[in-house]
Amino acid sequence: MKVFSFLKSYRMAMGVALALMLVELAVELGQPLLMAKIIDEGIAQNDFQTVVHLGVIMLGISLLAFISGITNSFFAAYASQNFGFDIRKSLFTKVQAFSFANFNKFPASSLITRMTNDVNQLQMTLFMSLRIALRAPLLVIGGITLAIMVNVKLALAFLIVIPFLIFFLIWIMKRSSKLFFMVQQRLDRVNGVMRENLAGIRLIRAFSRGTYEAGRFKDANQELMDRTAHALRVTETAIPVLLFFMNLAVLAVLWFGNMDIHSGKVTVGEVVAIVNYSARITAAFSMFSWIIMVLSRAIASSKRIEEILDADADIAEGRHKLAESKKAGAKVEFKNVSFHYPDTNTEVLKGINFNAAPGETVALLGATGSGKSSLFQLIPRLYDPSEGTVEIDGVDIRSLEFDHLRRQIGYVPQEALLFTGSIMENLAWGKEDATLDEMKSAAHDAQIHDTIERLPARYEAMLGQKGINLSGGQKQRLSIARALVKKPRILLLDDSTSALDLKTEARLLEALKTYNCTTLIITQKISTAKEADKILLLEDGSIIASGDHEHLMATSGLYRDILQSQLGIEQSG
Amino acid sequence: MKHENKVDRGSFTRTVKRIWKYLSVHKGLLSGVLLMVVMSSALGLLGPYIIGHTIDTHLAVKSTDGLGWILTGLGAVYLLHSVSLWLQNYWMIGIAQETVYTMRTQLFAKLHWLPIRFFDKRQYGELMSRVTNDIENVSSTLNSSVIQIFSSILTLIGTLSVMLWLSPLLTVITMIIVPLMFVGMKWITSRTGRLYKEQQKNLGDLNGFIEETISGQKIIKTFSQEQKVISEFLVKSENLKQAGYWAQVYTGFIPKLMNMLNNLSFTIVAAAGGIFALNGMVSIGTIVIFTEYARQFTRPLNDLSNQFNTLLSAVAGADRVFDILDEQEEASDEKQAIELSMVKGEVEFDEVSFSYDGDEDTVQHISFRASPGESVALVGPTGAGKSTIINLITRFYEPDKGRILIDGHESRSIKRESLRSHMAFVLQDSFLFEGTVRENIRYGRLDASDEEVEQAAIAANAYNFIKRMPDGFDTLLRQDGSGISQGQRQLLSISRAILADPSILILDEATSSIDTITELKIQEGLKRLMKGRTSFIIAHRLNTIQQSDQILVIESGRIIEKGSHDELLRKKGFYHGLYQNQFKRHAARAL
Repeated sequence: MKVFSFLKSYRMAMGVALALMLVELAVELGQPLLMAKIIDEGIAQNDFQTVVHLGVIMLGISLLAFISGITNSFFAAYASQNFGFDIRKSLFTKVQAFSFANFNKFPASSLITRMTNDVNQLQMTLFMSLRIALRAPLLVIGGITLAIMVNVKLALAFLIVIPFLIFFLIWIMKRSSKLFFMVQQRLDRVNGVMRENLAGIRLIRAFSRGTYEAGRFKDANQELMDRTAHALRVTETAIPVLLFFMNLAVLAVLWFGNMDIHSGKVTVGEVVAIVNYSARITAAFSMFSWIIMVLSRAIASSKRIEEILDADADIAEGRHKLAESKKAGAKVEFKNVSFHYPDTNTEVLKGINFNAAPGETVALLGATGSGKSSLFQLIPRLYDPSEGTVEIDGVDIRSLEFDHLRRQIGYVPQEALLFTGSIMENLAWGKEDATLDEMKSAAHDAQIHDTIERLPARYEAMLGQKGINLSGGQKQRLSIARALVKKPRILLLDDSTSALDLKTEARLLEALKTYNCTTLIITQKISTAKEADKILLLEDGSIIASGDHEHLMATSGLYRDILQSQLGIEQSG
Repeated sequence: MKHENKVDRGSFTRTVKRIWKYLSVHKGLLSGVLLMVVMSSALGLLGPYIIGHTIDTHLAVKSTDGLGWILTGLGAVYLLHSVSLWLQNYWMIGIAQETVYTMRTQLFAKLHWLPIRFFDKRQYGELMSRVTNDIENVSSTLNSSVIQIFSSILTLIGTLSVMLWLSPLLTVITMIIVPLMFVGMKWITSRTGRLYKEQQKNLGDLNGFIEETISGQKIIKTFSQEQKVISEFLVKSENLKQAGYWAQVYTGFIPKLMNMLNNLSFTIVAAAGGIFALNGMVSIGTIVIFTEYARQFTRPLNDLSNQFNTLLSAVAGADRVFDILDEQEEASDEKQAIELSMVKGEVEFDEVSFSYDGDEDTVQHISFRASPGESVALVGPTGAGKSTIINLITRFYEPDKGRILIDGHESRSIKRESLRSHMAFVLQDSFLFEGTVRENIRYGRLDASDEEVEQAAIAANAYNFIKRMPDGFDTLLRQDGSGISQGQRQLLSISRAILADPSILILDEATSSIDTITELKIQEGLKRLMKGRTSFIIAHRLNTIQQSDQILVIESGRIIEKGSHDELLRKKGFYHGLYQNQFKRHAARAL
């Protein structure tokens, strides 16, 4: 399994931990002998000297075991915690490289469970394995060996039962790992409903659907409970069955032992010895129940982790960079671009051709669902076109490094998404080393500076998840400022001014002009579009008209209709 | 430090008691488990006893008389032993899972009773961690520990009685290690207890961070901040690792310490026994048996200390669950709160002031009155407080000062559920659930028929685009909303509100992402919808609101102008300016 490869770096630590465990085990096995000696040679002989003497030795070696045990703890914890840390790291790094098609395959709630809960399962398993798991098989093997040494024929009872039981255990483990796999899936589901409810809490409140949602959660929760109980119960059958068969073997030993004693082939002492060993083997086997559970969970979890590590990020990064350009704006060109979302057949963009010269402003206009936002997402390569190419400064963006490509672009999505942290931290997303002055000037241009200055903590003010203590318009402007801090060569504004009042919007657009970047702007308002050098009119994924305002007024009926729809105001006024 | 410990222990017992409360619901089954534990322990001892006896009476004297019967009996004992083991686990798993099921349900239900304010500052992923990772801790402890604790206590009592019976003196000597054990355990668990808490907290933080970075992928990618979030992730992951590392290390000490103490106790007993035997105070045979029992005595003590530690990890998880369960709930409806079966739709604000952070008033001295069936538009710059007023009508937040009256009843005196059932909303961010288009619209009124759902979609002008989707009304929407545009989401939200058929309708930027042609088309539908209902509309496009009966112009949290479109234009104030601006931009430049 692939997760094993994560163990490689910790071979040393694991080796030391295992060696220390063996020391401990050796001491543990030797102790009964010493104890027997203390009793036989000391106490029974009334020899106090020997008791003290051997007692000191025993304390000495148990101190050794103690020290090994403690040291083992450090090494085992070191190996398992780092193992978990490394897996988390590769998972998270992998997820950052996910394309949106990957994200569609793995819901967020499931990714989260995998990165925390599943990793924890593996980590626990490794820690326990390094400390005790090996002990059980060793004890079993040791017990059998000793039994065979005493009397092969009687030990045969175990030799028959044990392989059988081992198969049984493997079978249980296989079954229960499948069951635990399902448990984890149900956990994803619970997580999913929970996440949805947190995100939609206002809507749920607004429609008083708390009870309805509780019902939905109950289903997910009930399934999780049932599955968990089922999986656990399957693993827990192992021990009673195992004990029963081991005990049957003991009965056989007694029965055949008795017969062999009659025929003089075996002594009573030998039978007693074998019965004693069987007790030890049985005790060791009992540990297996726990091992089985932990291991089957670990198998299930490692499968889920591997699913992520093995997922193909289907958008591959290019290796090139653009030639240095002195121009503040970049040339953007769409050549015959068609696009459908992964796993769907409906084309949302069909044969799109246009270009935006450096520094130009291009407005995209079109009905709801005509493909405007989809077109935007192709530029930073959130998705790749299914046909055609997108070029920047004449270079196919697929040949560019992600980082390089995306550094050219300032993207302001429709929903202003901010992160937990201060305003300053959020603005620094645009440029890590941005100075406060740069941020202030970007905030100023985005018409949000004054608002920030009025906050008690100003630029240090903290934003909650999704920056909820700001109004919709304020969030939008902050997310515009974030893009402006970057001083992008290409600015993408996806209907980002919808929550702004007209005065603010006008000031904002005025300020943008000083940036000289190539600007693509999605808008509903003719008044905004009109200011652009070029307007693209989209319908059902195709550009049905393009040109400047006058041109479209003259040639496009739809454009005139849109204008008309916005002029209602003065006709009635 | 000492003081802290005390507080900790107090909360430890409190939490354990609270977990016990959940368990004690299943008293019947629990006694069954206990019975099975007693039975399996007894049968577990009986087996070897019978074997010993058989060896003495049969094997040693080479007799086969009735051996078959004895072995059959022994087989039966073992069968019962296995059955009792199986049963105790079977039942206990049931109890444990029921318990965590209840905890999860309560935690979830609690979310719906917490004030919206609570969610403003929380990371979703951090809260999610409590439902999964923290409860998981409780679950795994309950599965195993209860049985172990039962059986350890049982064995402890058993061996202790035998030991006391054999030799009180040696028993006391054996007990020498008990205080040592307590000191050692205290040293260890005072650390693990704290570390477990830290671990769960760090895990929650990490969970929150992961959730946020997945939700924010679009931004992370386009701002190519992958490296930055990865390094932030590593810091959080490292914190988790550190807490986890030390928790594991200290946990690992426990069995080693116990083992060491066992050996110490054995040596002491042997040495002391030797001295006593020399003085003839005890017989050698007693010492031999006693050392064996002393060993048996310490084993359950071992188990108990391990279990105690496991319990600490459960407590660390449970505490985080109880933290939420103990959160102050949304001020509950007043006892005399009334249900309104019919709402005419009169809404009145009387000198209402409100502040989100208790610092600066977001809205102040808001007074207005909307008669039944009237439409009220809220206009003003962003951040002026328009959505806040909406939030107060919906009672997401309660006013700090002043009163809100619905049909003359103070809104506080109406049950929230009842109040909201007469309202329908299209909120600023149109949230869709994972599920079909039909289910999402039906959220407005759960008992609506398919036809009513479709009628609502037609009224909202959503029908055409829905029909063009691969499976029409049965198309599955993903939670991240891919494959459907923002404007289409708004159309679905509007359909949902139309279906709800409310007395009071609230549209907060309901059409902001919808193109103006479609908007015109749904205006008709909306107009029809608004007829006979009190409606509140926030919009920036003035053409959507100029028909309103009443326009409230809001700036910096105050109503600065009030009146109909024509009245406000005549006033030549703020609204006039806004209107002129839009008018000019549209008319002068467009034509």
